[in-house]
Amino acid sequence: MKQIALYGKGGIGKSTTSANLSSALSHRDLSVLQIGCDPKRDSTRMLMQGRFIPTVMDLVRTRGEAGVSLSDVVFTGYNGIRCVEAGGPEPGVGCAGRGIIATFQLLEKFGALEGDVIVYDVLGDVVCGGFAMPMREGYAQEIYLVTSGELMSLYAANNICKAVQRLASRVKSKCRLGGVICNAKGQPREEDLVTEFARRVNSTMIQYIPRDHIVQQAEVNQKTVIEFAPDSAQAGHYRSLAGRIMDNSSLTIPSPLEIDELESLAREFI
Amino acid sequence: MSSNPLPANSSRLGGCTLTGAISVTSHVRDTVTVVHGPKGCSHHNVSLLHASWLEDDRAVLPELLSSGLSEKDVIFGGEEALRRTIGVAATKEGVRAVLVLSTCVVGSIGDDVTSVCSEEYGVPVVPISSAGFLGGTFQDGMNNALVALAGTASPCDTNRSVNIIGEMNLEYEVEENYREVERLLALLNLPVNIRFVHNTGWEELSRLGAAELNILRGPALVPVGEYLKERFDTPFIASFPQGLSGTLSFVREVAAFFGIDGQAALREECRRQEEMLDQFSDLRRVPVSLERVHSGEDELLAAEELAAALDLVMGTPGTCAKLPVNAAVGTSGTKRMLHRWRRAVHA
Repeated sequence: MKQIALYGKGGIGKSTTSANLSSALSHRDLSVLQIGCDPKRDSTRMLMQGRFIPTVMDLVRTRGEAGVSLSDVVFTGYNGIRCVEAGGPEPGVGCAGRGIIATFQLLEKFGALEGDVIVYDVLGDVVCGGFAMPMREGYAQEIYLVTSGELMSLYAANNICKAVQRLASRVKSKCRLGGVICNAKGQPREEDLVTEFARRVNSTMIQYIPRDHIVQQAEVNQKTVIEFAPDSAQAGHYRSLAGRIMDNSSLTIPSPLEIDELESLAREFI
Repeated sequence: MSSNPLPANSSRLGGCTLTGAISVTSHVRDTVTVVHGPKGCSHHNVSLLHASWLEDDRAVLPELLSSGLSEKDVIFGGEEALRRTIGVAATKEGVRAVLVLSTCVVGSIGDDVTSVCSEEYGVPVVPISSAGFLGGTFQDGMNNALVALAGTASPCDTNRSVNIIGEMNLEYEVEENYREVERLLALLNLPVNIRFVHNTGWEELSRLGAAELNILRGPALVPVGEYLKERFDTPFIASFPQGLSGTLSFVREVAAFFGIDGQAALREECRRQEEMLDQFSDLRRVPVSLERVHSGEDELLAAEELAAALDLVMGTPGTCAKLPVNAAVGTSGTKRMLHRWRRAVHA
């Protein structure tokens, strides 16, 4: 079983990329489970025809843990992809990180973490131990960073490298960086910049996904690009990403950059 | 009480903030203390208070109620559980106020305890910050609780009386120490206004501002003394008296503060001390060493002075009787220490 996690700055396109990646993987006859690890719970919407599925934490809140079973939390969406949303507290109260930990414990108890591929789609930043949960031993062993060429996005990606580096240094940890996915904003020399960033943090850019209006069109139709426009060039990029991830054997411990290094790198490509 | 943070000298600087706060709030009658946190935080403290109160012949259980937080409350926020628990506490029979203590868990997840407490429950609800992981100590918990309680009282007319501030309610000799200070004040015809707090009624707290002088149990309470001075304009003496000359200078200081002629009181106390030393003349010139366990500088100085007054000979530790040094409040506390010394010498 392959377990991968997508991390990156908020709004960079993790959920869009994850849903399209899961769709492309499902077309390779793989059994796929996608888990949204964000209280905003919109990771799997495009796989569920726009539906916000009940989250694990919603169910625990209303019924108590004893009243929740596997079939309550796993929903089958596009092309047989199993979808789970962790959910979490209302904004501004409680502890969302602890919610992620509780969700993982429950999924573990249910034996839900099975199939050919599990895709974890995680909140923008690794703000606390709870959001590093997918990187821990027994869960995702390959981390993919989603970033554009914008400095703020690279900054977030670099920060996540720090988390991966820290977790990778733990005894028995199998958590490694699998690569950098460039979800382009369409700025000049963006692909070169992200390629160079990936090289400097001791990784590779595994896929360049250009900016394409078809993504928005698919989303207003509540579908992934793979479902909405399977013959489009954009769908081809997502299929290519799926293939490269399945074949990827280059897993590394990242070497995050100092902030001035990062800024001078960005300046080189302006 | 030492301000030296070394663990060997400072047991009160290492303890749990929550326990310090509970040692205060559980002594306010007609109130319920709500501990906002997992149930274990309360259970442990109920056991501790129950055991120490039994020593004091108080066979009652402390009025403690836990909000009983579970993992679910931690994830979704514990404010609803707190609201519910305050509601239960406020409607108990005879309850005049609810005192709310926070714990490490609610401090970590950021529950807004103050705003939940400011809702309407029919009785006053007083939030007290006592999350231990923030680096506070047992003493900070005590001080926070005393300051929060003082905040519920308003300035009022004063009369010639004295408040006792911050008694160590878990201390074995808490009652004896209070009686001794009360006795010394009585030599000057000064009554105690309120004990802030030791088995004190909620309504009594409103009289906090009526005393003309506050006497703190020890110097670690100075922040509380300063707060009371600012709020009620009441000056303070920073500690209960320690040892022979400490007791005399305490009487002198209080007399001078109130403009009383304390000569008769001082003569009376000197005579009492001399009589006491005579009773222990069997200890004269015995070789001893002083053993310091969790005792502060003041306590050591008082013990050294006492040893000198009895002509004790300082010998090499290990070859002579080891005399324990503990808090000796006033002449009576000094006498109790002498009894311990006698037992050590004749052991």
